[in-house]
Amino acid sequence: MAARIVLAAALLAAAFSFPAAANPAAEALIAERQCVACHGPAGVSAVPLTPSLAGQQADFLALQMILFREGLRQVPAMAEPVRGLTDQQILDIAGWFAAQPSAPKPDRGPRDEALARRGAELSAARNCNACHLTDYAGRANVPRINHQREDYLVHSLTQYRDNLRVGADTQMNGLMHGLSNADIRAIAHYLAHRD
Amino acid sequence: MITSRRILGLAALAALLPGFALAQQTQAPPAWAQGRPPEMANSRLAPHPPRLTVTPPERVPVASLRLPEGFQAELWAHGLPGARVMVRGPGGTIFVGTRVIGRVYAVRDTGSERQVSILLQGLTQPSGLAIRDGALYVAAINRILRIDNVEQNLANPQPVELTAAFGLPEDVHHGWKHIQFGPDGRLYVPVGVPCNICETDGERYALIASFNPDGSDRRIEARGVRNSVGFDFHPRTGQLWFTNHGRDWAGNDNPSDTLHVNLRRGEHHGFPWCAGGFQDPAVPRDRLCSEFPPPALILGPHVAPIGTHFYTGTAFPERYRNALFIANRGSWNRERLSGFNVVVVREVEGGRLIQEEFLSGLRDDANQRFLGRPAGLLTMPDGALLVSDEENGAIYRITYRGR
Repeated sequence: MAARIVLAAALLAAAFSFPAAANPAAEALIAERQCVACHGPAGVSAVPLTPSLAGQQADFLALQMILFREGLRQVPAMAEPVRGLTDQQILDIAGWFAAQPSAPKPDRGPRDEALARRGAELSAARNCNACHLTDYAGRANVPRINHQREDYLVHSLTQYRDNLRVGADTQMNGLMHGLSNADIRAIAHYLAHRD
Repeated sequence: MITSRRILGLAALAALLPGFALAQQTQAPPAWAQGRPPEMANSRLAPHPPRLTVTPPERVPVASLRLPEGFQAELWAHGLPGARVMVRGPGGTIFVGTRVIGRVYAVRDTGSERQVSILLQGLTQPSGLAIRDGALYVAAINRILRIDNVEQNLANPQPVELTAAFGLPEDVHHGWKHIQFGPDGRLYVPVGVPCNICETDGERYALIASFNPDGSDRRIEARGVRNSVGFDFHPRTGQLWFTNHGRDWAGNDNPSDTLHVNLRRGEHHGFPWCAGGFQDPAVPRDRLCSEFPPPALILGPHVAPIGTHFYTGTAFPERYRNALFIANRGSWNRERLSGFNVVVVREVEGGRLIQEEFLSGLRDDANQRFLGRPAGLLTMPDGALLVSDEENGAIYRITYRGR
């Protein structure tokens, strides 16, 4: 009995070419909601101002989808895709993107050493790695901020600074307070050009 | 609102973060840096992420709960992510407030089961609820609402906006509130400090005020209160008993969170200079701990008292009647977890107060993790005690069966 189930599962897997950790429900949902049309196949975004989600922290993704669904974070492009999602569907989608391999963005452009150094200094001064950790991969509801699109990092950090966006708490708003646009560009450049 | 003159510990911050401080001398340091000593600069302590999705009933840790002999716990309601404060309408509906998920739930008990519905959503941390004359008062960070005849309008609530009448600050940091009507019929509303440690306008922040139900006639009841998110009125004396959260980044064991009794209207309880007998080294010693009334009880470092509730039923043994129950949501700014339990504060001989652990089992000391976060407390007409678990979006019902 057990052997037959294993065999059937293996055949099924082979027939649909799912990777080992695949979640068919999540994949169907992601196709239906057209997530990858903007966020990119396997979650690596080629669309300006649209974040890559590959390897992002699942708790962070779930939190953001809930904030979108509840109308607490308002991003017009996300209103329809999350409409009516159940908690389980949100967890499934978050888990799928979190499981996609994260890597430096392939077309991130050349590194400006002076700008990156300035960004590194600012990041160290504001202790970014206390919460985002030393490799900036994040943890739980603290997002991964390496391997991200540089333009999206600028956009997101600016929103926090200008109190246009809040998270589960006010840490990021307080943290960004007083930074100039040039400071934010330097931090984003530094983060986007880390490996 | 906060000027550079008022920022405490800027000198320490400058030593810690020279590049930042030189460039930003006129800016407020972010909350994570306020009062943070150099030796904790690289600490990885951070607030725990809130769980905002439904926890299936089979995964709610009711079987892990430990209670004194003769008590038992059951899962009374589930599927309320972020459940915190609970109040009961005259028709028996339990209303439940939240923070990050922005909802107010209504729970109807059909006898065999509880039906949970979302009464309000999309609010900014509606953690304060109070009931009076069939109306539900809701305090979010930036709004005060009243829903008249709320139990007759569960499907279509029509909030009346009282925000302007109350005229409260809208700062997000420590702006989430507990509210409650006092025996004098006035609505008591705390305003926390918009920081970890700072000197603020003490007539606007760091206080508990009371108002007429329509928001008029503001009166300061208690001053020097850093952040109270739980209070109640003694069933016999009517005195205001409130819990207070001590600040972060002063070490694993300092300062303690505290319980206070407000003996005189307008009394100052010590913030920012003193917290539970701890003279804050980050604050100029303009005023000393000896100038302030001592807390009624030291609760413990970083335990985070939320629900602060006198048990007014008669179903529990004599020693628990009119005793104060405190739900500790649990620590984040401490290397080893503290709190994540419910304690009971009782008066013993000589009028001395003691605390005993009442509900435990949610803090896993061996693995330094927690299974749930107690937040709200409510005595039911049958003498059962409801305890909400914010982490699991669940409500437990505690009853006494005898030995």
